[in-house]
Amino acid sequence: MKIENKLIISNIINGAFIILIGFFAFQNMNLVLTKLRFVEIADDLNASFLEMRLSEKNYFLYQDKSALAEIRDKISYTMKTLDAAKKDIIPAIGETDLNKLQSYLQSYSYVIAETVKVPRLNAELEAKIRAAGKKLKEFSDSITRLERKRVNDIILSSKSILVFSFWAILASALIISHFISQKIVRSLREIEKLTKSISEGNFNRIEGFRTRDELGSVITAINSMSEELAHREEQIIQSKKLASLGILTAGVAHEITNPLNNISMIAQTYEELYAKLSEKDRIEFMGKVDAETERIRKIVKNLLDFSKPKDANPKEEDINAVIQKTLTLVQNMIDVSNIETTVKLETGLPHLYIDEHQIQQVLVNLVTNAVQATPAGGKLFIASRIGKDGDSVDITVMDTGKGISPEFLPHIFDPFFTTKGDGGTGLGLSVSYGIIKNHNGEIRVDSKTGVGTTFTIELPCYHQSEEKNNG
Amino acid sequence: MDKYSIMVIDDEKIVGDMAKMSLEQEGYDVETFLNAEPALARLKEKKFQVVVTDYKMKGIDGMEVLRIVKKEYPATTVIMITAFANLDAAIEALRGDVHDFFPKPVKIKELKESIRRALDKV
Repeated sequence: MKIENKLIISNIINGAFIILIGFFAFQNMNLVLTKLRFVEIADDLNASFLEMRLSEKNYFLYQDKSALAEIRDKISYTMKTLDAAKKDIIPAIGETDLNKLQSYLQSYSYVIAETVKVPRLNAELEAKIRAAGKKLKEFSDSITRLERKRVNDIILSSKSILVFSFWAILASALIISHFISQKIVRSLREIEKLTKSISEGNFNRIEGFRTRDELGSVITAINSMSEELAHREEQIIQSKKLASLGILTAGVAHEITNPLNNISMIAQTYEELYAKLSEKDRIEFMGKVDAETERIRKIVKNLLDFSKPKDANPKEEDINAVIQKTLTLVQNMIDVSNIETTVKLETGLPHLYIDEHQIQQVLVNLVTNAVQATPAGGKLFIASRIGKDGDSVDITVMDTGKGISPEFLPHIFDPFFTTKGDGGTGLGLSVSYGIIKNHNGEIRVDSKTGVGTTFTIELPCYHQSEEKNNG
Repeated sequence: MDKYSIMVIDDEKIVGDMAKMSLEQEGYDVETFLNAEPALARLKEKKFQVVVTDYKMKGIDGMEVLRIVKKEYPATTVIMITAFANLDAAIEALRGDVHDFFPKPVKIKELKESIRRALDKV
């Protein structure tokens, strides 16, 4: 179910609960109001009954007939009141109790009427009056008391129901939102993990975690993006290589000019001085031509090797030889930029199990970046040495260029991140990162603005047993 | 008449060797150097009519040689050769009062012709 629907349903449930409570509270309030209205009337009636009983007592004491008239007035007053307030009384105490009250009042009225007729009060009549009066007063008192108690009970129970409902709604809201948010958070964590691994160049998928809600759609989308990225990575590596090749070709063309010039000058001199040259000189001249041709052949071969699209093909390699080969490709670019290069390769390094061309690509990339970041007269330092743990080789490319500002440093290996403005694709370092990761190696950067940048590549040493796993 | 002295500075050894062989045929006194520092030191000891220098060299480059020679020895002619035949370099060299500017591969005949014209002015 979609998260949106879940939220709607949970809100509807809570809303319905609140409406129910509101309805209940409204009903209770109405009941309380009715009861209170009755209690008000009852108080009034009770006061009348009390006055009747007082007049009754006066009559017993002084045999004054006017007291009886007062009682009769009161009776007719209360009868009228009861009749008039019938509408309010019935809902409060019910028709039975009202009828009962009316009949008690009626019998009291009969006794009083009887008493008015006799000239003198006798004991039997007095007892009758007292009994009827008492009965009336007591019944009236008892229903008033009962109604007061009921009002009290209703208010108390309403209060406790309201308190309970408050906690119940709060608890249900908390529980529902906890479940929903936990699910969202769990999915988001999975997504976060995946995107992080994608940004590191591992194009994984989220497996066995499928929901049919919005997060499920997001996960599906990310999974297909990851697949697409994995599919394109090879293309990116190749296109980046071609981009580097463009930079290299210009340099290499210049690089070839020197041996070409040498051959040309040898040929011109040979032709001009042919007669004067000794046999030994002629052989030496041709030897030089051959050596210069070999120089050109090597440069061209390096360039061709570099440009060839190839699947990763790791072999046991001497890293220093790979660095040297790379330098023939980039030396010219370094020289043109008037940057002083120091190369310090540690001898006797263990062999590495690497794809020569991919590592060359990384080195070309790092050197190109260094040269572009370093002003004329700057320094470039390229070194290889055994790693700290003795089981890896560290390759360092260090420049005295402008450096990378600290806020960019965490992003330089991100795809499409570039500080070169229009000039950069932002892929060079991310491709390099991917290549080194595929070699189970590490690439680190250390940079200080205005001082320079150092890239360190750490590649694991070659162990015979690994060949099957890596190959 | 004293022999004219010509200095050739190029970090490619073959350039110096071939230029020396060829130019000595013309009766010039030729000295070759693989970089600028010893060449500039030699200029202090001996007068050269022509300095042929590579444009791109490690340490002191051809442009710097041109500046120093034109400042210290204004009578000496400078000819520049380069593997980086770009317009900016040529313009910069011409502003520095270079006598001639040759892209590699150098035609030795043209180089000789250029040296000859330079020496005619002396």
